[in-house]
Amino acid sequence: MAAGPYNYSYIFKYIIIGDMGVGKSCLLHQFTEKKFMADCPHTIGVEFGTRIIEVASQKIKLQIWDTAGQERFRAVTRSYYRGAAGALMVYDITRRSTYNHLSSWLTDARNLTNPNTVIFLIGNKCDLDAQRDVTYEEAKQFAEENGLMFLECSAKTGENVEDAFLDTAKKIYQNIQDGSLDLNAAESGVQHKPATPRNPITTDQPPNKENCSC
Amino acid sequence: MADKDGAEPVTASTNNPLSRKLNKILETRLDNDKDMLEALKALSTFFTENSLRSRRNLRSDIEKRSLAINEEFLTAFQAVKEQLDSVYSDVQAMNECCLDMTSRLKAAKAKTHHLISQTTSLHHESQRLQVKEQVANAFLDKFQLKQDEMKSLRGSKDGTLHVDFFKALARVKQIHSDCKFLLRTNHQTAGLEIMESMALHQESAYERLYRWTQNQCRLVTQDTPDVSPMLCQAVEALQDRPVLLKYSLDEFGKARRSSVVRGFIDALTRGGPGGTPRPIELHSHDPLRYVGDMLAWLHQASASEKEYLQSLLKGCTASNIQMDEVLGNITEGVCTPFKVRVEQVLVSEQDPVTLYKLDNLLKFYHHTIGQIVNTEAALLSTVAEIQDLSHRMFFNSLTGHANRLLDKVELPPSDLGPTSSLTQTLQLLRDVLACHDASVVPIDDKKQDYKQILACVIDPLLQMCSMSASRLSAIDMAAYMVNCIHLMNTTLALYEFTDTRLEMLNAQTDAHVDTLISEQASYILNRVGLAQMYGAIQQHQTGQGPLSSLPGLDELAIKSAVNKFDSYLAQPDSLTLPQCSLILGVTVRETAKKRSVELVCEAYKQIFNAILDPENGYKDGKSIVPRTPDQVTHLLN
Ligand SMILES: Nc1nc2c(ncn2[C@@H]2O[C@H](COP(=O)(O)OP(=O)(O)OP(=O)(O)O)[C@@H](O)[C@H]2O)c(=O)[nH]1
Ligand SMILES: [Mg+2]
Repeated sequence: MAAGPYNYSYIFKYIIIGDMGVGKSCLLHQFTEKKFMADCPHTIGVEFGTRIIEVASQKIKLQIWDTAGQERFRAVTRSYYRGAAGALMVYDITRRSTYNHLSSWLTDARNLTNPNTVIFLIGNKCDLDAQRDVTYEEAKQFAEENGLMFLECSAKTGENVEDAFLDTAKKIYQNIQDGSLDLNAAESGVQHKPATPRNPITTDQPPNKENCSC
Repeated sequence: MADKDGAEPVTASTNNPLSRKLNKILETRLDNDKDMLEALKALSTFFTENSLRSRRNLRSDIEKRSLAINEEFLTAFQAVKEQLDSVYSDVQAMNECCLDMTSRLKAAKAKTHHLISQTTSLHHESQRLQVKEQVANAFLDKFQLKQDEMKSLRGSKDGTLHVDFFKALARVKQIHSDCKFLLRTNHQTAGLEIMESMALHQESAYERLYRWTQNQCRLVTQDTPDVSPMLCQAVEALQDRPVLLKYSLDEFGKARRSSVVRGFIDALTRGGPGGTPRPIELHSHDPLRYVGDMLAWLHQASASEKEYLQSLLKGCTASNIQMDEVLGNITEGVCTPFKVRVEQVLVSEQDPVTLYKLDNLLKFYHHTIGQIVNTEAALLSTVAEIQDLSHRMFFNSLTGHANRLLDKVELPPSDLGPTSSLTQTLQLLRDVLACHDASVVPIDDKKQDYKQILACVIDPLLQMCSMSASRLSAIDMAAYMVNCIHLMNTTLALYEFTDTRLEMLNAQTDAHVDTLISEQASYILNRVGLAQMYGAIQQHQTGQGPLSSLPGLDELAIKSAVNKFDSYLAQPDSLTLPQCSLILGVTVRETAKKRSVELVCEAYKQIFNAILDPENGYKDGKSIVPRTPDQVTHLLN
């Protein structure tokens, strides 16, 4: 009856964005299942996965929303940025075009999330070094110029995948500790499991309240 | 040696005792005889004076000395004897004592024998009782609750439960079921009694557990509910009382429902910290974003709620149906606020394209949310309802648009091209059909939608065109309709599922093109003056006499017509009907031209053949029609 898998103190919401085929779904799968999906179908709309991790001996549940990169889903996926505490922005190191589109993804991420959202840049498929089309240095520079965290990963070999997800969580956790992330605000993308309800006034509302606020 | 030595003197010594004696003395070795030496030594102590007297007295002296020694012995032994006598008496006394003791012991033994046998039997008895006690204890261990178990089962006054409660409850349950074994033995009464008491315990425990669970469930109203291990255990335990479990889950659902509603309203009106992300309602002017954001929020909330529920029910078996039901309850609260808002958007939206986009968006989310909640969930049916409404609103607006077209029919422009309402409507159609690319609606739905959309737009458009063309001449009408249909055709050709429509439109085009072709051919024949002749030749029958005798078919008339035809051949385009050159579609235009030329050639061929036919009475046919039909065909192509 000891600590089951559900005993965590925080929930962090992540969103994974980037062009189609850069390996977003594979990264998520690698992180949650520790396996590589070689023939992964295009994501339709959004999908989500969860995993519990530990940061500073705090159990944290990551709720990760994997979006479709296909342009036709942009309108749909944009609605999922709200309330993300972390955004993983992925490009494919073997396809320059996916790197060139980063600024448009970044604009979306900045406009549609809250100011504290941690944005992590991932250059995926680093196992395909022979086909590399974007150097590490230039991506690193792009990340620095835009204040992003950055790693090159491989969803295939699993290299750095764990670190990308965990480093994002650590940064978010640090923001909470610093007090720069206000947990009491709605849609901060982080949910604490508090002993007291967040807003005592609204919790005491009579049940029929739910119908009158519309 | 002695035998050897003595062998020789045997005869002498036996003969003489004295010599024997002497020999014996001589042979005596005094230094070897210790007794003799001792005796001589003792004798030397008192026989100091070798005198006769003393030799005479020696015997008596020795006897006296012997007597004195014997007396000494006697006194010494006297003392020993006395001592032995006393020892004897002591032993005698001891013996008596022992005998006495033995007899006493014998008596005691006789007396205690009974006692011993009693003790032994008591001992056995005690052992038996001990075994019984062990059995009884084991029985109690197995079939009775311990004090602390009772205590944790009873809980405290304020209704809080201790973790041990569940162990105790499990014990009660175990005992209850173990009683069935008792019932199979000859302890039926005990079994029944224990069973009954356990049943009572169980009932009150479940009652307590239920009240506790219910209270706990009422508290899970935070954004992220705290599903404690205890609560999970409680729910697991309540599985044995499905009704109580259901009530508890209802309570959980109620708490979550109000939390979800609150979260939804917050997202709509408050947004994130410092207003980023902005409240959803801030985008209410942008219907797609507004509705899309709401739906995405609902999708995420449903997914999270399902997780909480799964964590609550993780210990329960076969609870899928129940889980779906609770999830349905949880997500039911947001239905109304959501529905009201979307309905508002839908009824105030005029643009069919936006409406269709909304329709597709709702369809998409119906599918997406349907992967989380089950079909019976109110949320899903609300989305379905709203989607149905959006569908109807879309077709209403499309039909409305079409109706307006028919209300106010534009006259065809002088170039017989499409009217602006036609081009606008087709643009609208393009926009509508293009929306589908942006959606992920199942292919069957798409096909069905397309059919309906085309029926809604193309049929009224055709009707509108016919109406607008109604006052035109047949040939103008044909050209105009060909143009209109051509435009529709090129629009539809870009999309899937338009084949039957295209076929129908092509058939209509063909009919109009036929009209145009025959008009064009007869126009040419009329203008060169061959029309009358052609008509006459076709009606003429052998037996009616030679053609040349008919009025207007004399050689001269024909010659002048053929001359005109020649100048047409030099400049075929000069006789093209203006309507034909106004045809927009190049292919159609070319086809029309080609086929009308074919008609003309065919007519010429018949005229040529008729003139060369001697029966028709033309003297020098060759000079009247110098060109062969093949030459004509060649010139015209
Ligand atoms: N070699 C290699 N291939 C990868 C890696 N990650 C993904 N792939 C392959 O890339 C393809 C696309 O991966 P996905 O995860 O489906 O891409 P996605 O970003 O989710 O695509 P959308 O869902 O359409 O947005 C798949 O065929 C993967 O097998 C990687 O790290 N190395
Ligand atoms: Mg994907």
